[in-house]
Amino acid sequence: MSGLPSELLAAVSRDFPADFLSFDAADLVTYGRDWTQVLTPRPVAVAFPRSTDEVAALLRLCSAHDVAVVPSGGRTGLAGGAVATNGELVVSLTRMRRMDPVDVLGATVRVQAGAITEAVHQHTAPEGLTWPVDFASKGSSQVGGNIATNAGGVKVIRYGLTRQWVLGLTVVLASGEVLELNGALEKNNTGVDLRQLFIGSEGTLGIITEAVLKLTRVPEKLDVFLFAVPDLAAVLALFREARKGPFVIMAYEFFTEKCLARLRRHRNVKTPLSAPSDYYVLLEVERGAPDELEAWLTSLFERELVTDGTQAQHSAQAADLWTLREGISESLSATGLPHKNDVALPIPELTGFCAELEQFFEASYPGWEIALFGHIGDGNLHVNVMKPDDLSREDFLAKTHEADHAIFALVQKHHGSISAEHGIGLLKKDYLRYSRSPAELSIMRAIKRALDPRNLMNPGKILDP
Amino acid sequence: MKILVPLKRVADPDNANKVKIPAAGDKIETTGLEWKPNPFDEYALEAALRLTENGQTPKVRAGEVVVVTFGPKETEQTLRAALATGADRAIRIDTTDDKLDGDLVARALAALIEKEKPDVVVMGKQAVDGDSNQVGQILAELLDWPMATFAATIKEEAGALVVSREVDGGVATMRVKLPAIVTVDLRIVAPTSVYSTKTAATFKYNDGVRFAALPAIMAAKKKLLVEIKLADLAADQALKVEYKAFQAPPARKAGIKVKDVTELVTRLKNEAKVL
Repeated sequence: MSGLPSELLAAVSRDFPADFLSFDAADLVTYGRDWTQVLTPRPVAVAFPRSTDEVAALLRLCSAHDVAVVPSGGRTGLAGGAVATNGELVVSLTRMRRMDPVDVLGATVRVQAGAITEAVHQHTAPEGLTWPVDFASKGSSQVGGNIATNAGGVKVIRYGLTRQWVLGLTVVLASGEVLELNGALEKNNTGVDLRQLFIGSEGTLGIITEAVLKLTRVPEKLDVFLFAVPDLAAVLALFREARKGPFVIMAYEFFTEKCLARLRRHRNVKTPLSAPSDYYVLLEVERGAPDELEAWLTSLFERELVTDGTQAQHSAQAADLWTLREGISESLSATGLPHKNDVALPIPELTGFCAELEQFFEASYPGWEIALFGHIGDGNLHVNVMKPDDLSREDFLAKTHEADHAIFALVQKHHGSISAEHGIGLLKKDYLRYSRSPAELSIMRAIKRALDPRNLMNPGKILDP
Repeated sequence: MKILVPLKRVADPDNANKVKIPAAGDKIETTGLEWKPNPFDEYALEAALRLTENGQTPKVRAGEVVVVTFGPKETEQTLRAALATGADRAIRIDTTDDKLDGDLVARALAALIEKEKPDVVVMGKQAVDGDSNQVGQILAELLDWPMATFAATIKEEAGALVVSREVDGGVATMRVKLPAIVTVDLRIVAPTSVYSTKTAATFKYNDGVRFAALPAIMAAKKKLLVEIKLADLAADQALKVEYKAFQAPPARKAGIKVKDVTELVTRLKNEAKVL
């Protein structure tokens, strides 16, 4: 029935609730993978702890019996970081979704790692506060996974990454030892900040079970605009204007008509502009002085920086405009097989990088469908290469794998990152050296060995020890 | 063709959880609510725009679309949004939300129509807050105009509109001579629902209501928006409908998991009693 050691199974049935472990085939597939479609999940079982104590007890058992574990949250990752391909035990935090009352004075809230991102938003909103970590998958993604992947999203330009919004962590190490890191302190200058080690560690150093989240006030009224622009250079030109605009930018996103076409194939979406355009920009700003905003908008049209545009007239229209951007990733996967790259460049390098990227696509993927979108205000491009219908899945994966080396060499040349926000997981592991020096890699390995000497925590992810 | 479109702002139905009823239960607390146009009124505006244009050149208006709303100063936002979407002119009838009912609104509109003399009034079949579904019908009676309610399609002819209404088991199609009242249902914004005499029969609209283009949003700030006192349209402001009490719907019970189909069937039979 299972490949787990019988002593471990006996201990589990003695010390844990009856529904703690699942061997159900559907559960193995569901909890054994994330949003990536290219890897086959093969976990041995799925554990569903309800508390930090249960996680600690389980990891003590796993450590005693040399059982590797894969921590699992909302499974919306795009780099294979939560995929169990090798008979590991998946530890799903799904049942750990308790949220404590909001500390209004400190503007913090303590939650278990399985709390859904959107549930945290709803939980804190009545106090006028929010956790400003926000992205398309907020309805499924969990706090623990967000932290373990240092998730980005659509509001990074305004608020920064998840890392900025975590005060305290409860972490269970491979040995079962529980660390309480930093409590709920904003200031704590007492040596190396161990909390930061676990943020972005993708479950390779320990399992995050609880977190104290830092909150901020819910923004004032927001204005959402959609602009039509002719090309990528115009996307960047408009960004220069937005930086100087009379408002605080909350989000500056772009996508192409090809992305929108995929969205239309997958679901019924609104068509806000009268004519299609090759490139679109979605701009969200905190409402400022209306007259200055109007003057700014007028000048965009006068200088022909945009060809068309609209502004949401109420929150339902704003949601419709956001759907055009946030629905893309899901629709690409629903209508085909995308090969995803998520690269970051210093903003001044974007123009040069994109020009070379286009040449590269023409040479390597003549006629292939490239769906380009992303948080361009953060220098972050999502490059999605769609599998052509006449190419087999294996040939497609082989071809893109090979081409990635060329793309990442280009990223390296322009001083960028091969993974802006998706993480490394399994899919980007072979390319880590394009973004990290040998000295850095060797320090990362040393940390891994110190915290997880037997390589039981999410083995094979990010790098090998 | 000159069209009058009455618009009402309603509490955003997507934010229904923000609707609060004070302990006394005598009203709905409106502070903190997000407002949006009543969806059926948005559809009415879209239908009016389609009736006054060639679908191929939507920036050129053939005729005039006048929008009107009842309410305090803040409701001008609803009117500005309609002007940005394509309406030519707006009227705000100054009053507060709690001093209105369908009868008073219809009487005031009838008085306004005496002055404005539109060829047709296109309006939502009902507002999604009170769900009264009365104003269009009372208005037709007061004016003694022909009326077509729950319109799913409208086709313009010389001096008349051909309106299809979805009824039980089929579609009823009628020709109403102008001037007339048309109240619209949700299918009125489908791609082939509304044709003016200018729009080619082969033309297809985008599904749904149009978004306002940015240049039009800015131009809308300069369009004419006048305020009229309710008293100038209706000397008698007595209400015929009085709301006695409000109460929130009962909270939904948590769901349960069943083990198998047999248990599901048993529970549907014995507990839910739907089988």
